[in-house]
Amino acid sequence: MQERLSFYKKRESAVHRLNPLSKLTLALGIVFVSFLSPYYWTPHLLILFAVIPLSLLGKVLREYINAMLRLILPTAGFLFIMQALFQPLEGVELFRFGFLHPTQESVLFAFANATRIVVMVSSFTIFLLTTHPNELMTDLTRRGLPGQFAYVIISTLQIIPQMQAKAQTIIAAQRSRGLDTESTFFKRAGSLIPLVGPLVFGSLVEVEERAIAIEARGFTSTRVKTSLNSIPDTNKDKLIRWSLIVIIIVTLASRIWLS
Amino acid sequence: MKIEIRDLEFSYPAGIQALRGITLTIGSGEQVAIVGQNGAGKTTLVRHFNGLLQPTSGEIQIGGWDTRKYSVAKLASRIGYVFQNPDEQLFSRDVKTEVAFGPKNLGYPNEQVEILVHEALEMTELSDKTEMNPYDLSPTWRKMVAIASIISMDTPIVIFDEPTTGQDAANIARIANVIKVLRERGKTLITITHDIDFCAENFERVIAMSQGKILLDGKANEVLGQEDRLATTYVDPPQLTRLATRLELNDTIIREDMFLTELHKKLTRTL
Ligand SMILES: Nc1ncnc2c1ncn2[C@@H]1O[C@H](COP(=O)(O)OP(=O)(O)O)[C@@H](O)[C@H]1O
Ligand SMILES: [Mg+2]
Repeated sequence: MQERLSFYKKRESAVHRLNPLSKLTLALGIVFVSFLSPYYWTPHLLILFAVIPLSLLGKVLREYINAMLRLILPTAGFLFIMQALFQPLEGVELFRFGFLHPTQESVLFAFANATRIVVMVSSFTIFLLTTHPNELMTDLTRRGLPGQFAYVIISTLQIIPQMQAKAQTIIAAQRSRGLDTESTFFKRAGSLIPLVGPLVFGSLVEVEERAIAIEARGFTSTRVKTSLNSIPDTNKDKLIRWSLIVIIIVTLASRIWLS
Repeated sequence: MKIEIRDLEFSYPAGIQALRGITLTIGSGEQVAIVGQNGAGKTTLVRHFNGLLQPTSGEIQIGGWDTRKYSVAKLASRIGYVFQNPDEQLFSRDVKTEVAFGPKNLGYPNEQVEILVHEALEMTELSDKTEMNPYDLSPTWRKMVAIASIISMDTPIVIFDEPTTGQDAANIARIANVIKVLRERGKTLITITHDIDFCAENFERVIAMSQGKILLDGKANEVLGQEDRLATTYVDPPQLTRLATRLELNDTIIREDMFLTELHKKLTRTL
């Protein structure tokens, strides 16, 4: 299994050892609480006391910070600025610049929203960093998720890196046969055209071949399937999942009654 | 067209040093076979000839063109490279389009492209399969399509990367025939192969590689006779050569006719 086909980082940690469903529940739980909680500071506290400790515990802090700086913060920062400027709520006006007149309320509102986005993306980043996609799918299908559904998810996760690798080999083959891909911009753009056909066509052929291959191994068989890899599901896992469900319900209840 | 390689070293980005100092000259019209264990660096070496890989240090001249200064597309007018795996090379919807792709890119006039494609299909016995999709052909025929798509470019140098691996006897004979025709046309041919009998029967010069270096280089019978040194790169001399050695025949034997002559001589001497 080529690891560059997913985000997964193979480490030895308590988070890695958790059952994939527990980790999925954890990721979803954090997102639910940050969006549903009636308290303003909940998302911020979640980052400090849930997201960062989890990334430490899972030994993926460095990868997480990397993703944070390169993807999460720029996106959230952009959302914050757009919302703060363009969604003026009634309240204390901070300044006026042309048609822009952000208020204290709009800034606070935008800040909370941006933080929620940070929490959501962060919690799934940590989930993907510590969970192998195959393990997740094996576990979910064992619990009754239809195999077709798992197949769609897995192949979607892998299609981009696979297409990239395929494009590289086709380009090498075409250049070896005199296709000029490296001179002017127009030649470059023009040389994309002979690439598109084989890339799409080749990928379709591959899909068909893969379908035949998995069918030959009884993919649509209705019998109960066994799995080569056993994925542990301990009492600790069950405890974590039930606690999370209780937390989510409590949050939901407080949302309904407190606001 | 001459190939000159000087002090070639190459490391893959992942850090593996695949070539450790190769100096080599291949003259115009020579037929060279390259042998050696898996991972010896044979593919890596020939991918430098048409510029698909660029040397980490050292240089390669193809008929006076430094491969660092010419694009792969330019070098394609001098070197045709048949990939080891046809699936990495074929991308068209039908055989004819595939075979015409190279000569069209090289800018031959249309009538010339027609002639070249026709000849290449004839030589590879594909004339009755021109409309078929390469993916619907068996792997042996796909290999022939890959070969046809390169020889249609009519380049002075042709490289075959393991042409006979995984092929049946009939297809090996077809490939040998293609090589024979190209030799008669005066092409420079370089073939990587594990098939030592194929090597003995079709090539005059043999280069044995091991761990990124050249181990042996010389006339086929000189190289293939050195059983001990070839063993270090996991190559066995042809069965006939080993038999001749055991029989203590004069000379290193690599072909049937040589074997029969020497055996006859020895028998008349001893009887
Ligand atoms: N694309 C690549 N990336 C990294 N290493 C490679 C790549 N291709 C080949 N190698 C390594 O380079 C060495 C030489 O490989 P190669 O030239 O393919 O050998 P051969 O063709 O003689 O079997 C091997 O150790 C191989 O693992
Ligand atoms: Mg090779």
